[in-house]
Order: sequence, then C-alpha cells, then structure tokens
Amino acid sequence: MRLVSFLSLFLAFFTLQFATADPSHTNNWAVLVCTSRFWFNYRHMANVLSMYRTVKRLGIPDSQIILMLSDDVACNSRNLFPGSVFNNQDRALDLYGESVEVDYKGYEVTVENFIRLLTDRWGEEQPKSKRLLTDENSNIFIYMTGHGGADFLKFQDAEEIASQDIADAFAQMHEKKRYNEIFFMIDTCQANTMYSKFYSPNVLAVGSSKLDESSYSHHSDVEVGVAVIDRFTYYTLDFMENIAKNSSLSLQDLFDSYTFEKVHSHVGVRTDLYKRDPSEVLVTDFFGSVKHIVKDTHNQENDFRAFYGSTDGQDNYAEHIVNLAIDKSKNSPSESPKVASVGKANLMKSEKSVVTFDKSKGNNMWTAAVPFSLLIAAFALAMGTKGQKNV
Amino acid sequence: MSQLYLRRVVALWFGAVFALVGVPLWYKLTTIYRAPLPGTYISSLRENMHSDVHLVVPVYVRSDTYKFPDVHEAIQLQADALLQSKPRAVNWSLQILQAEKNQVLDPESDYVLTLTLDDFTGYSIAYDSKETIVFFDDTAVVSNDIPFFAAQTLIEHTFGTEWTHLSLDSSDQNDQGNRGLGKSSEMAISYAPKVHLSLSLLTGDGRPVAWNIESTLNQYFTPLRQFLSPLINFTVDTSILHFNDLNLGSLHDIQDPSWQDLAHSIDLSELSSLNHYREKNAINLAIVFPSPEAGQLGFVNATEDRPWQSFMVPQWGALVVNKEALPDNSRLTQDYLAPVIYSFACELFQFLGLSNEKADLSTPYITIDSFKRVTTLKNLEHGIETMWSLIKLTDQFPQMAVPKQVLSDVEQAISLRLKAVELLNDPKRGDEATWNEALHLSNSFVEVCERAFFHKEMVQQNFFPQEHKIAVYLPFLGPIFVIILTGLLKTLRENNDDDEDEVEEKQVKISDSPADETEQLDEKTHDSSLTKE
Repeated sequence: MRLVSFLSLFLAFFTLQFATADPSHTNNWAVLVCTSRFWFNYRHMANVLSMYRTVKRLGIPDSQIILMLSDDVACNSRNLFPGSVFNNQDRALDLYGESVEVDYKGYEVTVENFIRLLTDRWGEEQPKSKRLLTDENSNIFIYMTGHGGADFLKFQDAEEIASQDIADAFAQMHEKKRYNEIFFMIDTCQANTMYSKFYSPNVLAVGSSKLDESSYSHHSDVEVGVAVIDRFTYYTLDFMENIAKNSSLSLQDLFDSYTFEKVHSHVGVRTDLYKRDPSEVLVTDFFGSVKHIVKDTHNQENDFRAFYGSTDGQDNYAEHIVNLAIDKSKNSPSESPKVASVGKANLMKSEKSVVTFDKSKGNNMWTAAVPFSLLIAAFALAMGTKGQKNV
Repeated sequence: MSQLYLRRVVALWFGAVFALVGVPLWYKLTTIYRAPLPGTYISSLRENMHSDVHLVVPVYVRSDTYKFPDVHEAIQLQADALLQSKPRAVNWSLQILQAEKNQVLDPESDYVLTLTLDDFTGYSIAYDSKETIVFFDDTAVVSNDIPFFAAQTLIEHTFGTEWTHLSLDSSDQNDQGNRGLGKSSEMAISYAPKVHLSLSLLTGDGRPVAWNIESTLNQYFTPLRQFLSPLINFTVDTSILHFNDLNLGSLHDIQDPSWQDLAHSIDLSELSSLNHYREKNAINLAIVFPSPEAGQLGFVNATEDRPWQSFMVPQWGALVVNKEALPDNSRLTQDYLAPVIYSFACELFQFLGLSNEKADLSTPYITIDSFKRVTTLKNLEHGIETMWSLIKLTDQFPQMAVPKQVLSDVEQAISLRLKAVELLNDPKRGDEATWNEALHLSNSFVEVCERAFFHKEMVQQNFFPQEHKIAVYLPFLGPIFVIILTGLLKTLRENNDDDEDEVEEKQVKISDSPADETEQLDEKTHDSSLTKE
C-alpha cells in the first residue's frame, strides 16, 4: 500500500515536472520527404502533398516548409488527370492545384541532401529557400514516407538512409541548438525501427508499424490505377482535418486516434526523449504556426509629441530616438558642438532627467563603507595590479 | 628451372605491387582526412569562459566648480569596492581618469563624469551623449560623500546594463550549466550585424493606393539607420500588397480580442518570406487597412490623432492595424507615415533587444554603447560554444572528415578572439571607435566559427555498418586478392612437385636421347642386377 502511494506521488511529481516545462517556441518549420520514385508509388507523393497542404493551411509559410518530392507524378504520362494529384478516390481535393513549392525534386532527393538539410552544411551556392534555417526557438515537424525495412529507408531505389544517420543528424542539430523540439513522423514498413536509434533530447517520434510489420495503403483509385494514400497517413489526415488554428486538441489525441483496426499495423510512439507529456502538447505546436501577438504598450503619445515637436521647431522638442538620430545626422561628428574643453560643461539639464539620491540609502551605505574604505582600497589596488599582470 | 624462377618472380612482383603499392594506395584513398583541431585549447577556453577578459572602461572626471586633485582616485576605490560586492560572470572595471589640462573631451565618444555644485545631490545622464553629471552640495563635500555618489551613479546607472548583464545572480551560481550572459527577451531577435527590414502596406481590397514611403524613410528613418549603423546595418525594402488584410476581417465583430484570438486569426504566412533576403534576420512592419466590405475593426483602440493601433509579434515585427478602410484612390502622406515610423522606432529597439517592454530608452547613447560591449562578450561566448560543439562532434563521429579549411578557420577564429579580447582589456582605449572595432572583430569571430562548423565537406553518411563495408569491398577486392594470393601460393608450392617432375622429365629425356644409349644400357643392367638381387 505504501509502495503504491509512494509510486503515485512519484508519478504525480513527474507529471507536474512535465506540465511546467517551457513550451516556448517562436517559429515552426516542416520537413516533408517522399523518398520513392515511379508511378506505382503515387501514394507516397500524395501522402507528402497532403501533409504539405495541412501544415500550410495551419499557417506555416512556404518559406518554412521544405518539401522533398522524389518524383513528379502530376506530370507523369500515365496520369489520367495531368497536373493533378489526389489522395482520395472521390478526387475532391487536388493536392497539386494551388501553389506548391517543391524545394527538392527528382534526383535531388538523396540521403546526402537530406542529411545536409538537417545539419545545414551547404556550399555558398545553396539558396536560402532550400535551407532549414531553424534556431533554438524552432519547432520542427519532420514527415517521411517511402519504402523501408529494419533500420533503413530507401531513397530513390538507389540508396538508403539508416536510422543511425537520422539520429546522428539530430544530435548535430541539438549540439548547434538548431531546434527547440522535433516531432518526427514516419510512414513506411517497419517504421518504428527508424526512430529506435534517436538519442537527442526533445524529440517526439511516431511511426506507422513495428519491426517485421508492413505498412499498408488505404485504397486505390480505379481511374488513377494505383493506390492513392497510405493507411497511417490517411487516418492522420482524417484527424488533422478537424484541427483549426485555435484547436485545443493535443498530440495524445492524435496518437489515441490510431487503432490497429484502422491502420492495420501497430503504430509506435516514442516519448522517452521528450520532456513534455504529449497530452499537454497542442497539435498546432508542430502542425501550425501560432504567433504570440501582443498589443504594443509603449507610450505612443510621446511618439506623436516628438513628431509634432520636430516639425514645430525646437520649442516643443521632445526626447525621442528618431529626433536624436536626426539631430546627430545634421551635425557631422567632426563639427560637433558637443566637443567641449575641460571645465566648460555642456549640460543638457532637464528637470525630468535629474534624479535625486536617496540620501538615507546613500548615507547608510557610505557609513558602512567608511571603516572599510582603507582595506578595500588596499585590496582593490592589489587586485588591480594582479589583474593587470594577468592581462 | 629458369621458367619456374620466372614464374616465381612474376608472382612475387604481383604480390609485392599488391601489398606495397595497392594496399597503401587503397588506405590512402579511403582514409578520411581529419585535420588536428586544437581541442584542448578550445575546451579550456570553454571551461574558463572569459577568464582572460578584463573589460576596462575609461571614464574621465571633470569638475566645474571646485578642484578635486585626487577625486578620481577616491572614485576608483569606491567603484572597485562596489564592483567587488557582486560576483561577476566577466571581469570588468572602470578606469577613472583625471581630465588633463587643456585636454579636449568629447562626451559623444568618451565617458565623462562631471561634478557640478548645486543645492541638492543627484545625478543626470545625458540623453544625447555619454556624459554623466553628478550634482552635489556643500554638505556632501564636507562629509566626503562625493566619491561614493559618483561611483554609485557610474556603476548602477551609467553602466547599469553591464552591472545587470555581467553579474552573476545568486540563482545562476547554483546552476552550473547556466553560465551564459543571460537570455534576451522573448521579443528580441538574435543579434546579427545585418538585419533586413521589410515594410509593407496591405489593403483588404484591390483599390489603388499609394504612399510617400521613400521621402518619409529618407527624412525619418535613414538618420536612425545611420545612428545604429555601428551596431546593426539595415537593408530596407517596401511593398504594397492588395487583397490581403491578414484575415483581420474575421475579427471585426470582436471588441476585445485576447492574444489567442489575434494569433489564431491573423495570417502572417504571406509576409514571412524571409528567404528572399540575404540577411539572416528580418524585422517586418506591416501597415494594414481592412477592406470596406469587412467594415470598421471594433477592437482597434484608435484615437483622433492616431487612427491605428500597433501590435507586436515576437521576433517577427510590428503590425499597425487601422480601424477604418482606406477611401478610394488614397495616398498616405508623411503626416500619417511619420508617427508610424516614430512608434516603430521604439518597437525596433525592443526587437533588437536594446530596450525592455516599456520601451524605456532614457539614455540611448549609453544604452547602445553598453549593448555593444555586452554583445561583444556574448559573441565571444557564442563563438566558443560553436567551436566546442565542433570539437565534440568530430570526437563523436570518427567517420566525419575534418578538412584543412576547418582547421584554418578555427585558427583564424582564435586569433580574432585574441585581438578582440586585447582590445577590450586595454585600459587606455575606451572611445566609441574601440567598442565598434571590438564588436566588429567579435562579429567576424562568430562568422568564422559558424563557417568552420557548417563546412560543406563535413557531411557524409556517418553510419556505415561493417556488413556494408564487406558488401562494398568484397566484389572489388575479393577476386584480385584471391587470384594473387593463390597464384603466389601455387608458385611457391611448385617447388617440391617441380623437383619430382624434373627427375621424371630427365628420365624421359634420357630414354629419348640416342647419344646416351650406352649409359642407359649400363643403368638398365645395374637395375636388372639389382632386381635380380
């Protein structure tokens, strides 16, 4: 009984710790990666484009979304609907319809480029739009889909990335303070193995299937002729469609929505590296970009006074940084009238700026300081000479 | 005999070329180059952060009325004692100097402390220079209070920024991990010497609109830009966006929206196009007019003079939201835009981390100067952290290449740091140019450190399992190695077999040779005699 109460107290303590963790972040980024080529992998492109649409809808700007699409099914000659990609057989939503900014396409989607993207190791020639310019205040959502196996994910049918590679890239990002938190989501066969090697803090991961388990597609479109979306992504999107910017649903709600009946595989969640409790993390902390907008509380009347003062002339001159800058620009430093010889102080004394000493405080401190002044003087001199020597 | 010898020599040559040329060549070509970085030095720099820094700021004392020949020494003692009273993250002190006769002091460049006789005691810090005036009365002279007043004024007020930022709080002392110089506010962007400023005018509809932004900026903003240029260089762009009111129309019914309402409705994604600029950081100013269809925005707290209200978005910029829509064919004149710029200037100081939320900027000259020093020190800290991360990662990933360029960058960074530290420590130099130069050096230091850390060649698939290595090398090296090895073994083994073959060959040779017939017969006789035995 005691043990139980002790354990519950222990748990309660830890829950409290999680709840009070600092969730501050000021910007959101998304990295969406489709790693497989060819027409029959249509669904992987559709997966990623659906995610792209969702994060954009929730406010992450295109400049903060890195979209890696390894093939262009929209323009594939087998596509019965040229220029369109659909993720449902009702074809209600054209994922390629609105402006889609693909950052890495076709053969640019390589393991090397992906690692470079995460670690931001590029040559001078790399444009800013294709870089992950995150900082310590960034929350990053990383979504990957393709064909994978135990501890690897295939890129382009030509190479593969190991789970250890991603873990090491995250470690480098953490070392250089390139993220606040990462939410890693992967939809591939044996997906849960891909996050098994992570060791950097503040990473939350979810995968579609466990070791030795396949991930399945959801359904095919007869006219498109291939499967159009994967199960795990389909049910993720199903959940996300109910999310608006002001949604209070948490990531735990998202995780709870996955069931074996729906996904047909065991969805895995890794939370041991993550400080916060997923039930206290808003979905929009990663999928959206919610800015903290506050009213400006500084005294704007002073701005107006300063502006009108500057136009009326010097009589109503009010202290303002713009007025000061204008004054300074009028007087070039060499001709400055402020250059004054010793003994001829050029005062700019206004009643407001003069501060009177708090005599009582000053006297008290002074009386306390007097008996020690000689000692302090000797000490300071000794320190001074010592300091100079060190220098 | 000669054939065997030849075969052996050839096989040995193959083996030798394989072992002496091939193997070293393979080793050379597959070894990852790792330049020897000065890891011990960098880790000691990090462990003893700022231990070689002793920031000294010279302050000149002058007196208007009385002559105090030794007042500077007394102030120096008091100032040192006051500084000693609080533990510091970085060593810093003031160098109180007596202004020499006929010495021209420029309060815009040097710190000047003026002692002025008045009928009260107090102090005043100039708005437009680096002059501190301490007022004293005769009582203060009699009780010898002036040195203490002066020291207290200098340290707690003139150098208040240093006093706060460079001191260790008691809470920090307990936390060993938190050795930094303090985090800036939520609003402020991280410091960078170049910042982009993007000014946009947004209207909710497509009616034509114009603004006199260029003349307004030239008149009001350019001087500010020049004023701040030693610290931060701004690049500015302006644009007009139609049919975009940031989705403010959806808020027109709400009277007093919370920040969540604003955050969930306002859509800044189209304005956050940071990547069109070269600069690392950007600050935005968006002046937004709702469309006439959306109507008046009830929540905007506008006054007669000011038809707009300003909102701030942390690390993004300011929103100037207008209550009313613009009439047809409007042109925004300087009368409208200048107050916006005045207000934005105050906000800009918050975004740069120069002032706090109340926009308390009573002493801009001194604040900017102190900011330069604190930023220089933060830069030094930041650069060392970067180099330390580099060292840690190269140790952690033995497969990672470390190019020569990285080593030369690290060496350059270390020398830049030493130059900056030397400048900060010099007690004789303390004018504005010194702090500008120190800041400039520290900025270069950070840049070089970042360049070293993010070197293009320091990336590769770090994880390369053993079975992959076998899979790569076996098809290539296997056949060559097997052929050479077995060939060599075969020729060496041929030794014994060949001797037997040689005897047999000889025998066959003898039987075939008619010249040795008698000898052959003799041998046969001998053999038969033996058989008979």
